[in-house]
This record gives sequence, C-alpha cells and structure tokens, in this order.
Amino acid sequence: MLKKQIFIGFVIGLLSLFSGTLFALQEDVWLMLQKASQAARELSYKGVFVYQSGNASKSVQLTHMNYGQGEYARMVVLDGAPREVFSQGSDVVIFSPKNEKIMIEKKRGQNMFPALLPSNMDALKASYQAQNNGTERIGGRDAFVVSLTPKDQMRYGYKFWVDKEFGLLLKTMTLGERGDALEQIGFSQLTLMDGQNMDWFKPKFDPSKSYVMDQEGPAKASSSDMDWDVTQLPSGYRKVDQVKQSVQGKGLPVTQMIFSDGLASISVFVEPLGKGVIPKIGHTVVGATNFFALVNEGHQVMVIGEVPEAAVTQFANAVSFKNKK
Amino acid sequence: MKEKISALMDDDLALEDAEYLMTAIKANGESAKSWATYHLIGDVIRGDKVLSHDLTAKIMQEVAKQPTALAPKPSLVKNKQVVWSVAASVAAVFFVGLVVLHQQSQEAGVSPIEIAQAVPAEYLRAHQSMSPSNAAYFIQPAAFSQDK
Repeated sequence: MLKKQIFIGFVIGLLSLFSGTLFALQEDVWLMLQKASQAARELSYKGVFVYQSGNASKSVQLTHMNYGQGEYARMVVLDGAPREVFSQGSDVVIFSPKNEKIMIEKKRGQNMFPALLPSNMDALKASYQAQNNGTERIGGRDAFVVSLTPKDQMRYGYKFWVDKEFGLLLKTMTLGERGDALEQIGFSQLTLMDGQNMDWFKPKFDPSKSYVMDQEGPAKASSSDMDWDVTQLPSGYRKVDQVKQSVQGKGLPVTQMIFSDGLASISVFVEPLGKGVIPKIGHTVVGATNFFALVNEGHQVMVIGEVPEAAVTQFANAVSFKNKK
Repeated sequence: MKEKISALMDDDLALEDAEYLMTAIKANGESAKSWATYHLIGDVIRGDKVLSHDLTAKIMQEVAKQPTALAPKPSLVKNKQVVWSVAASVAAVFFVGLVVLHQQSQEAGVSPIEIAQAVPAEYLRAHQSMSPSNAAYFIQPAAFSQDK
C-alpha cells in the first residue's frame, strides 16, 4: 500500500516536472535563440567545429574576436583541400590554393556558424514553433536543446544547442521531414578568449606562391533587368536579393533571385535557352539540398534550396514572365 | 437651204424629213458652216458662254500643252501584284516550314537531361555563394566537392 502511494507520488512528480519543461514559455525559448545570435557576434572565442552533410565531414578551426571595434574571424578548413576564410565586418575573403597559385575570392558576408541565426527572430516566429527539449552536453559544455518545428511543408525543422553559461550556439542540426539529420555543425572544442592580440588574423600560406584574385562576382540586378518574377510565394518567404551573373560555362547571363524565411534559403535561376543548349529538367536531392528544374517559355528555370522537395517544386512552378501579362 | 437648216434647229422641220440636210451638214461644206454659225448665234442670244464657234482646235491645243503623265500600263500593275502576293505566300509557307522543321530538329536532337543524372554544380555554387546563411560554401563548396 505504502509502496503504491510512493509510486503514484513519483509518477505525479515526474509528470509535473515533464509538463514544466514542455510548457516552458515560447517567448523564453525565442529569447534564448535571440541571445545565441547576439553571443555568436559579440563574444571572442576559439575552437574546432565539425561540419557533416550526408557522408561528407570536415573539421574547421575557428577564431572569432570582437572587442568593440567590430568582428574579426578566421576559419581554417582542417580536412581535405586547405582553405582559409577571413571575415572582417561584412567583408569575407577566401584563400584557396590551386596548384601552384593561391586563389583569393572576395565576397559579401553571410551568417556563418555559430552566427547562423538571424538577429531578428520575428520572421522565424511566423514559420516555426519553438520548444525547449531539455539539456545535453556538447563539446564538453552543457547546453539547452531548442527545437524549431516548421508550421508547413515548405521548410525543414532545426535543432539548436545553446551554451548554458555563455548563450553561444554550440551545435545545429537540420532535420528532414521524417526527423532524420540531414546536416549538422557542432563544436567539438570551444574556449572563450581574452585579450586583443591580432597575430592570428593572417593566412598561413607559402608566401612564395603567387596570388590570383578571382573574377568579379555577380552584379546587383535592378527590377527592370528581371523579365520574370516568382508569384505566390509560400508564406514566410521573402526576396532578399536579386543578381545577374554569368555562371561558369554559360554564354548568356543568368538572373538569380534569393529568397529566405530567416533560416532556409532558396535560389531561383532563370536564363534564356540558347541554341543547342541542352535543357535540364526534373528533381534531385543532395544532402539537405533539393533541386528542381523545368523549361518555361524557352527559359531554363532552376530552383535550389536547403528546403524540402515541395518548396523547390512550388517555387519553380510559380515563375511567371512579365511580358506574358 | 440655209432656211431649211434654221428650221431644223428650231424643230420646225422634222428630223425624218431632213435626211438630205444632215448628209449635207456632215459633208462639211457650206451647210456645216451655216449649222455651226446658227448654233453660235443661238448660244449668244441665250447668253451661253461660248466664245468660239469652233472649240475643237482650242481644246486640242490645250490638251497638247498638258505635261505627259508617265504612268505604267494598268495591265502591267495588275500582273505585278499577283506576282508579289504569290511570292509572299510562298515565303510565308517556307518560313513556317522552317520554324517547324527547326523545332522538330531541336526536339529531336537536343533532348532535355534529368538533373538527377548530373547535379548542376555551377548553379549550386552560385546558390551557396548568395544565400544569406550557408555553412557549406566555405567548408564544402560545390565545385570543390565535385572535382575532388
């Protein structure tokens, strides 16, 4: 009898504890992600993280510093082809040795791990449901686990591990429609840094090798350059950029629109089909990236995104040409 | 004779009865002159603006003064239009045929490829490079992973 009462008490206690974590206020969870986004940009830290997508896995050494005069970061790819990435504010320079030369590519900054989360959570709140799923240990540090569940079929789910002490994002995982891990990045080692020594902010390549600047990247396209548009965007997505560029091995310029819901991004490419050019059609998937291609009014339409197949299909079918109206 | 002509003009003499008179006038002799003179007198009396009893010469003179119009013969113009319309329809048929033939040859010669067979790495790289948050671009860029 006493044993039974103890057991019931234990069950009730467990239930209340469980529901306590389950019903942790949504706002608190969003606040946690907001802090993680800030911490990744404002703190100074160094460590090694591992990137995994499908069978591919690469380790990257990261040093990030911010002592009030902006962000400086250096990433060294440790596995496979040696590459170094330097970022200062919103400028990014990539050094990659190719044969006897070192290619230098300059580009606009992106949200790089661990600063993958946008600084404004409002866009994400519209498309995802946030939930705290307890705690786990990542790279020797304790972390809160946060799940983002998509509200529709137009995006993947995500899981984030946030450092309990520093609020820094320790690990992120992209989840497929069946909850399987498609891509993940996580620290295997992380320490905070003190001081303002900037000696680390230079590439470690053979200075005797010649440097080659990569050709100019895509040019900003004005709305008049685009003779097409994507009508009926899936909810949560908005256009973040549109460019015109000559893609490798293409004679005619390709126009590209980039859409994002704050985490997932989709590119839509449209180009006129030249004489003798073999059109591409159909669907394929590599890791978390889905591809969908079709031919519309003599144009090649190509949609690529780290989103489910339903999303790339919808974007490809929503391309309409302005002159048709 | 002159009285008879005057009577004919005033309808006092029936035409059926003046056959010989008409023959005389047509013979263009004295009778014809009288016929013309009597008509002129009549016109003047009635106030008609006729200033010469013989207009033929004057009219022919005026006609001769007019510039020569160098117009092509009507029959020739008609023929050319026919030739042109025939040429246009032949050209149209030829052009349409060419377009159809071109499309057919394109469809037959260049069949689309399924991207599942060949992942479009050049597009993937452009996507990775432009998307606001993409870890793979720096670490595992498409072009690099392809030619590894």
